Amino acid sequence: MDGYTLRYVGDQALSVEFEEEISLPVNRKVTALYQALAACRIPGVGELVPTYRALLIHYDALRTDLKALTAAVERCAAHLDLTKLPKALVTEIPVLYEGEYAMDLEEIARIENKTVEEIIRIHSQSDYYVYMLGFAPGHPYTARMEHPFSFKRRAEPRVKIPGGSIVVQLALSDIIPFDQPCGWNIIGTTPVLACDYRKENPFLLQAGQWIRHVPIDKPTFLEIKRQVELGEYRCRTYEKEG
Amino acid sequence: MGFVVEQPGVLTTVQDGGRFGYERFGMSPSGPMDLTSFEIANLLVGNRREESALEMTILGPTLRFTAANVVAVTGAPLKPKLNGEDCPMNRAFPVSAGDELALGAVQGGCRSYIAFAGGLDVPEIMGSRCTALQNKVGGFQGRRLAKGDAIGFRSPAAALPHMERRHVERQVETAPLREIRVVLGPQEDRFTREGIDTFLTGVYTVTKDFDRMGCRLEGPVIAHREDGNIISDGMVTGAIQVPTAGQPIIMLAERQTVGGYTKIATVITADLPAVGQCKAGDQIRFRAVEVEEAHRLLRQQEEELKALEAAIHAPEPAAKAPRCYRATVNGLTFTITLTECDD
Repeated sequence: MDGYTLRYVGDQALSVEFEEEISLPVNRKVTALYQALAACRIPGVGELVPTYRALLIHYDALRTDLKALTAAVERCAAHLDLTKLPKALVTEIPVLYEGEYAMDLEEIARIENKTVEEIIRIHSQSDYYVYMLGFAPGHPYTARMEHPFSFKRRAEPRVKIPGGSIVVQLALSDIIPFDQPCGWNIIGTTPVLACDYRKENPFLLQAGQWIRHVPIDKPTFLEIKRQVELGEYRCRTYEKEG
Repeated sequence: MGFVVEQPGVLTTVQDGGRFGYERFGMSPSGPMDLTSFEIANLLVGNRREESALEMTILGPTLRFTAANVVAVTGAPLKPKLNGEDCPMNRAFPVSAGDELALGAVQGGCRSYIAFAGGLDVPEIMGSRCTALQNKVGGFQGRRLAKGDAIGFRSPAAALPHMERRHVERQVETAPLREIRVVLGPQEDRFTREGIDTFLTGVYTVTKDFDRMGCRLEGPVIAHREDGNIISDGMVTGAIQVPTAGQPIIMLAERQTVGGYTKIATVITADLPAVGQCKAGDQIRFRAVEVEEAHRLLRQQEEELKALEAAIHAPEPAAKAPRCYRATVNGLTFTITLTECDD
């Protein structure tokens, strides 16, 4: 196993950092450490927050011996077994790439010198890896591993874009859970909710899984939206090949 | 039945100990900005420390009670008035249906708390009753209280035992210049030696951008080795971010769960309440301590709370057994029982 750095984060958390890059191999180490620590249930350890290249480990200082905790975390970090990671899941995200639901699609096509259909194909025919969640509840940071777009953010961020927007730059694509300001280009809109507080587990996605955007037409969009409102819609989820 | 909000104050929210378990999905815990004052308010009225109560900011609300209960007000000093009469801070007192409690303005500090025996009847969402204003969820309809809102009590108590014990001598920190202790890191190596020195010797002023998410400070510019950007990683409450411009931001209860700015240091847990009592214009000087010292201070704070809890709930001294005498007068036998008076 390659090196890692363990840091104190204040008096009630530790961070284990792996190589300083955003990549699938590095993030898989974070996922492996997350799963190892979640499985061994060290007394006093609270929430575990996986991010691109680091795992944040919250602990209760009143119930934890810091030396014992550090030793246990180091033991786990030094013996990560990436071969034992469970098969990654893929969740299908239905996307309407059309009209006011895809405000910037034509502009994207123009920038990339491709047709709208080609852009939709690029966006919907790659699996996107969920590196982490954050920014807003349920908000995934996802990226595809091939064929990045050439553009970054828009020159002027929008003050508010609607929840459900699918926004893109380079190889990145995010689902916006709630209305928010945003400077990315809107390629489409999904009728599913990345965060639905009515549910016992409100969050659609988790770090370390994949998503696949599936083009849908307007009637399907409206039908799925109706089912989502009734709390009846479930995204198709399956194990990733390979 | 509970109370109706007659005037909402500046920013009054339902809080509890916090919503934990969802940080990896992007949801920060929220909860009280001055956890210690919050917990003391609950202890005074016999609640679990993390029970739901109200957090008030700068100007408290006016409440009209629709049911009797026992309440306690703590935190930043206010001049609360019950039906126009002064009533105490840091002491439990009873209220009756029809009473009007005007909490008034803080006389220093920023945030005060009022706890109600038995807690507040708002729905539990994801295991918590606290309001996450940024996420518009939890507490009372996911928002700050407004005029006319009515909140019920879950299990009010018209009276509690040992009312005389339900008080605490306590002042929150309201000095205009406060020392806040920090543990350096996690990214202190992204700053120059001079940058760290600047941070630990400079005086930083709280700007008008201070809310439940964070507290922006203004003061001497802190120098990075390169810039203030990192690959986004996890965040804790009390993290002090320093973006490239070199001005620190203390991340608080409703912070984001991840962030892409360098974090020079983290406020120790024992001093977070003091940050929660800061408002615009207050000044902060940071002092670095080792993590072991931070833990010692946290344990000390915990022992003080436990002592308060024990003092309130200490058992009654054993009642003195009555003494029984037999006396025979003129051939008739009487029993006489004597019980010693308390006073």
